[in-house]
Formats: sequence, C-alpha cells, structure tokens
Amino acid sequence: MLSVEWEIEGLQTVGIVVIVCASLKLLHLLGLIDFSEDSVEDELELATVRYRPEGLQQLEAQTRFTKKELQIFYRGFKNECPSGIVNEETFKEIYSQFFPQGDSTTYAHFLFNAFDTDHNGSVSFEDFVSGLSILLRGSVQEKLNWAFNLYDINKDGYITKEEMLDIMKAIYDMMGKCTYPALKDEAPRQHVEIFFQKMDKNKDGVVTIDEFIDCCQNDENIMRSMQLFENVI
Amino acid sequence: MAAGVAAWLPFARAAAIGWMPVASAPMPLAPREKRRTQDGFIIINVSGTKFQTWRSTLERYPDTLLGSTEKDFFFNEEINEYFFDRDPDIFRHILNFYRTGKLHYPRHECISAYDEELSFFGIIPEIIGDCCYEEYKDRRRENAERIQDDADDENNKEGVMPDMTLRQSMWRAFENPHTSTLALVFYYVTGFFIAVSVIANVVETVPCRASPGMIKDLPCGERYALAFFCLDTACVMIFTVEYLLRLIAAPSRYRFVRSVMSIIDVVAIMPYYIGLVMTDNEDVSGAFVTLRVFRVFRIFKFSRHSQGLRILGYTLKSCASELGFLLFSLTMAIIIFATVMFYAEKGSTASKFTSIPAAFWYTIVTMTTLGYGDMVPKTIVGKIVGSVCSLSGVLVIALPVPVIVSNFSRIYHQNQRADKRRAQKASKEAGQAFLSKTNLSFEKEHHHLLHCLEKTTNHEFVDEETYEKNCMEVSSVNPPGSRCSSISSQHGLTSTCCSRRNKKTFRLPNSNMSGSHAGSLQELSTIQIRERPLISNSRSSLNAKMEDTVQRNSEHPYVTSAIISIRTPPVTSPEGNNTSDSPDYSQRNIVKVSAL
Repeated sequence: MLSVEWEIEGLQTVGIVVIVCASLKLLHLLGLIDFSEDSVEDELELATVRYRPEGLQQLEAQTRFTKKELQIFYRGFKNECPSGIVNEETFKEIYSQFFPQGDSTTYAHFLFNAFDTDHNGSVSFEDFVSGLSILLRGSVQEKLNWAFNLYDINKDGYITKEEMLDIMKAIYDMMGKCTYPALKDEAPRQHVEIFFQKMDKNKDGVVTIDEFIDCCQNDENIMRSMQLFENVI
Repeated sequence: MAAGVAAWLPFARAAAIGWMPVASAPMPLAPREKRRTQDGFIIINVSGTKFQTWRSTLERYPDTLLGSTEKDFFFNEEINEYFFDRDPDIFRHILNFYRTGKLHYPRHECISAYDEELSFFGIIPEIIGDCCYEEYKDRRRENAERIQDDADDENNKEGVMPDMTLRQSMWRAFENPHTSTLALVFYYVTGFFIAVSVIANVVETVPCRASPGMIKDLPCGERYALAFFCLDTACVMIFTVEYLLRLIAAPSRYRFVRSVMSIIDVVAIMPYYIGLVMTDNEDVSGAFVTLRVFRVFRIFKFSRHSQGLRILGYTLKSCASELGFLLFSLTMAIIIFATVMFYAEKGSTASKFTSIPAAFWYTIVTMTTLGYGDMVPKTIVGKIVGSVCSLSGVLVIALPVPVIVSNFSRIYHQNQRADKRRAQKASKEAGQAFLSKTNLSFEKEHHHLLHCLEKTTNHEFVDEETYEKNCMEVSSVNPPGSRCSSISSQHGLTSTCCSRRNKKTFRLPNSNMSGSHAGSLQELSTIQIRERPLISNSRSSLNAKMEDTVQRNSEHPYVTSAIISIRTPPVTSPEGNNTSDSPDYSQRNIVKVSAL
C-alpha cells in the first residue's frame, strides 16, 4: 500500500521538477531571462579614443586664424574634450551650460550636424576650427551659406516648412518656460510663416539657397547682424 | 559655470550667427572688447619651488590674492618673480584650483595648516569640490572637537561658575553627575532604586512555597503582598521626586516634557498611580494587570546611566530603514514559501498545514532555523520545499546581519554627516557665490549672447516669480489680457498694455545714459555678485525688475541698444530722433519687426 502511495508521489514530484526545469530553459532560449552575467563585460567598449589633430601649419593654411588664435582655441577644446573629439552628448552638455533656462539639446543637435561636416558622428578639432573660421572670418556669402546648411536638416538644398519649424521650435525651446510675454505654442509656427513670406519668392513652399542669400543680402538688419561677432576672438 | 566652459563661449557666440536670418528683432550691439593683452607667463616662486602659469588662468578668480592686484605686494624685482614664503606642497593644490576650477583637499595634509594657507590666499573652503568635501568637513569637525575637549577640560578644572542660579546648578548636577558629590550620590541612589524596582517586579511572579494551610503555590507577590507594595511605593516616591526635580530644573520645560527620557519616566510611574485610583474593582482588574506590564519600562531609565544604551537606541533608530528592509524581504519569502508549502501539503492526509496563515508559523520557524517540529511536511514535494526554505532562511537571515552590524557605525556617522551637510548648505551657497565671481568680460559676453537669443525670438527671459505673476495677471484680467496677447502674437506688435511695460524699462537707461557708463562697470561687478546664485535671476533682472539696485545692471544692455538707435543710419525716419522719445522708440522698434 505504502509503496503505491510513494510511487504516485514520486512520479508527481518528478513530473513537477521536469516541468519547472523545462519552462526555465524555454524562457532562457527565448531570451527573456539571462543566467550568465557575462553580458555586462561585453558592453565595456574601449571608451578611450585618442585623436590628434593635423599639424598647426596645415590648420593655419586651411583656416583664416593665426597660430596664436589656433593655440588658444585648442587649449580650450582639449580642456573640455581630452580625447580630442567631441561626441554629440558632450557637445549638448557644453552648449546647454550657456542656456541654463531652457532646453538647448535639440538646437545643439542641429548645430552638431552643421559642424560635423563629414558626418562621422563626432566633431574633431579640424571640423571645429573650420566651422569657426567660416563663422568668424568668412565672407557674408559664406556665413549665409553656413546658416542655410544649418537650417537644411536633410542637406537636400531646400528648406521646407517642416525643417524650418523644427529649427524654430529648437530655438524657442532654448528660451525655456519663464519668458515675457509667455510663450505660446503657435509662436514657432507663426515665426516660420513670417520667415517663409519673406524668403520664399516664388511661393513654391521651399526656400532654395539662392532665394535665401538674395533675400538676406537685401535685408539691412541681417547684414548688420552678420558682422556682429567679428571680434569674438 | 566651469572655468573650462568659458573657453567655449567664443564658439557659442559664433554659432549665434545661425539665429540671425530668422531674428524677429535687431540684435544688440556686442559688448566693447577691451584690447586683449597678450597672454603671458607668470612665475610664482613659493619657498624656492617655481610655479608657472598663464596670467589669464589666475585672473579667473579676481577675488583672491593671486587673481587681484594684491599679489603685487609679493613681486620681487630682483628675480622678476612673485615670491611667497609659504608651503609649496599645499600651494600646488591652490594653483590647481585656478587651473581646473575645483579645489581638492589632500588627505595627508594637516587640516589647520591647509586652512591657514587657504585663508592666506583668500580662498574660502566652501568651494572644495564634492569629491573631497566630506573628508574635509570630517577632519575639520574632529579638529574642532579636539579643541573643544581641551577647552572643556580646562573649564572643568576651573570649577563651578560662580554666578549660576540654583536652578542651573541643579540641572547641571542632573545632567552631569561628576560635577559634585551630591550629584554623584543622587545618581547612584536612583540607579539603585531602579534596580530594586525591576528586581522586585521580577521576583513578584516567582512561585513561593505555600504558606501553611494552603495547598497550591502562590506567586511571591501575592504571599508577601504588603512588603512588595511598600517597596513599590518607596520606589515610585523616589521616581516621582526625581521627575519633579528635573522638571523644575529644566531650562526649557516644554522641551523636557517632550523628550524621550521624560516619557519613559512618566510611563514608569503611571501604573502605580492608576492602580491607587482603581482599587479592587473586579471589572477593571484585567486592565490593571495589563498596566503592570508597563512597570518593566523602568529598566529603560537605565539609559540615563549608560551611554552605550543611548547610542544603541540611536543607532537602531537610524538603522531602521535597513531593518525594515530586512523585515520586508523576510515577509516576502515567508509568504512565498508558506503558499508553496500549503499547496504541496494539501494532498496529504491529516496535514497540519490547514491554511496558508497556518503555514506561516512553519515557514518562520524553519527560516530562522529554529525547527520546533510541531509542524512537519509529509509529502516529498513538501520536504523538498521545506529544505529549500531552510537553506534560503539561513542565507536571508545570516547574511544581512553582519552587514547591518557594520552598517551601525557607518550609518551612524553618515547620518551625522547628512545632518551637518544640510546645515552647511547655507555656507555652500556662499561658496558658490564666491566661485561665480568670474571674469567680468565673460559675463558681459554671455549676457550679450542671451540677449541675442531674446531678440531672435522676440521674447524675454524672466525669472519664475515674475512669470507666475504674469500668468496670474493674464488669467485674472482676462479681456484686456487676451486682447494684449492676441495682438502681440501678430508680428510682435505690442498693444498698449504690454508696451506700457516696455516703456518703463526703456525710459530709465535713456535718462541716465551718458554719465554713468564707465562707473556702472564697477557696480556691475558688485551687483552681479549679489545676484549670482541663479543666472536666471540676473538674466531676468535685465528685463523686468524695478528695484533700484538692479536698474544699473539693466542699464548696460539697454544702453547699447539705445546707442544703436543713434549711431546707425535710420532705416525708418523716426528712429533718428532724440532719445527722449523712448516710448515711441520702443513702439517703432517693434514696428520695424513687423516689416521683416
């Protein structure tokens, strides 16, 4: 009698154990649970990348800065980014320190893409300095070109209303919440409308580089403000 | 803002060219740059060790000895260096502060020597970086305690202060039994009576041999009821007198009554008085018996006599979260195992596991490895679960115990540190204010950048309070407010209610524009320092605030915009008019916006 009871019980036990182990294995196969802890170590990639810029002579030839100015730029650059390149996260962090009231990450993202001319996801010192060379020492044409490049998010040669709206929202985001008068949601959109009314001569819904440069050159205010930062360094 | 980020300001300003084509308003003029002197080396000789750095590095913190002209007092013309007769090892850290913006505290240095050097070079210690701040404060506290102990010893040797009132000397005697022999005698007497009372409570319940004529054993308390009653009365008398004396002597009676020790005292003597009141009433005797339990709290009166007990109580209190977590995880484990056990044992006949709560008892007993054996599983699955339960019980209970024990000292010190840190926050704010006395030109340029952004979007930065106020104003004064906002949304033209604000802000700088521009620079620096903690504060001060102190701060950017209106050839004719036309200027300024 007893042995039959125990047999039944034993079979029950074995059955339960088998089912539990099989379900665990199934979950492991499905990738829902992980037994090993090795995955943590795999994620440790080599974070230290050393990047050295081109020589001072070449940079002096390529940009419109003197050696001393390049030295000053590099000292500041290397201080914040000892690895020699800026990735987007660091870029956003640095830029947001200048605008503590608002959220400057979106605009910093667009700015990063404008500086990262070879689109490799990081801004090296050469990119940095060539961008600054255009902005500080370039002709008005070059500056306007750079600005157009900034607004043209997908770099197809046309600024659409959506692209302009993204840029405008990013700029308004930098203002933050506490402004006077209080920021309305339609403010960026209206600003974009004004911009397109002014710039889009043939009313085809996009602004080309020629329309942009033409219109800006005819506007006194814009011309004057372009000269504003001549003596930054 | 970190010193390093200041180097990126030229980049941020250059990038502002991206806003120009879409700006709604003309940009303010850039701040006038003083001719940048060529950055040169500066050699500092500290007791023979030469340190070299750029001049601009030292000028980052103009409020310290090295950053200001005070260092000229130490300039030695013969060797053409700045000579300081101080410790070069500590000076290294001070110079690093200028380079990196963070002040570190080296652990091997003496705290008082370090403090001396800091005060010599005009650096306040509150700006020590977070990495070293705790260590610095700990060492400082230890040092202060050491000094305090030395001072106290001297004080105690001197003897009692001559002009203490009776009340003060009584309180001192209560708190510090070693001050006089009377206090010591009192201390020992009360200790003795606490012990007697506790022992009496215990012995009361021991069964004594029955008196002749009785069959069963009585507890001693009932046999010698009178004796115990007299003893209890005597003890309670002493405790009451002691409590009343303490109450009289306490400097702050309210605080004393609320303290833990006084509550223990009261709880210890209450049952006796309640017992006196309710005498021999059969209905409430059950409650009366329960009250007697509270007499055991007299044992806690020993904590006045024992420092260790007090520390234990305090650390238990501060360790409460850890203990709570332990209890919580235990509860979770108990519920899990009890449930599994119940369902495992459901099948077996005559099982003691009649319900899940009934299984709780088994789980607790097994997990704490007690194993009474009053409930045992019979099925195989039940036994497997039972063994897993006891193994995990060992782990769950045994492992955290040493952790908690070692947590005692750590949490104890940490709690003290956390409280101190909160108290030190105020001085830390002062430190931040000190740190932010950076380059004046940097501030000017940064403000100019923010001002460009304001002009681009045709909105102004304000601080939180003004923003809240504006929101409330808009919501309360609805009809004109909505008109105001709707019109302002069209091309940035402001209607009368909004332009009134603009008028106010524009009028002031125009009125005293000419004279005080040069003088305002000095005031700028002092005002900026006062407002520094929130950059939004100083930013909004440029726009909306009316206070006198801030007006001159707001002067500067508006002065430049007024200059624009005069110097540049007018685009629309009214702009070239005299500056007293400030309201019109503001209106026309914004009219020009719409033409864009």
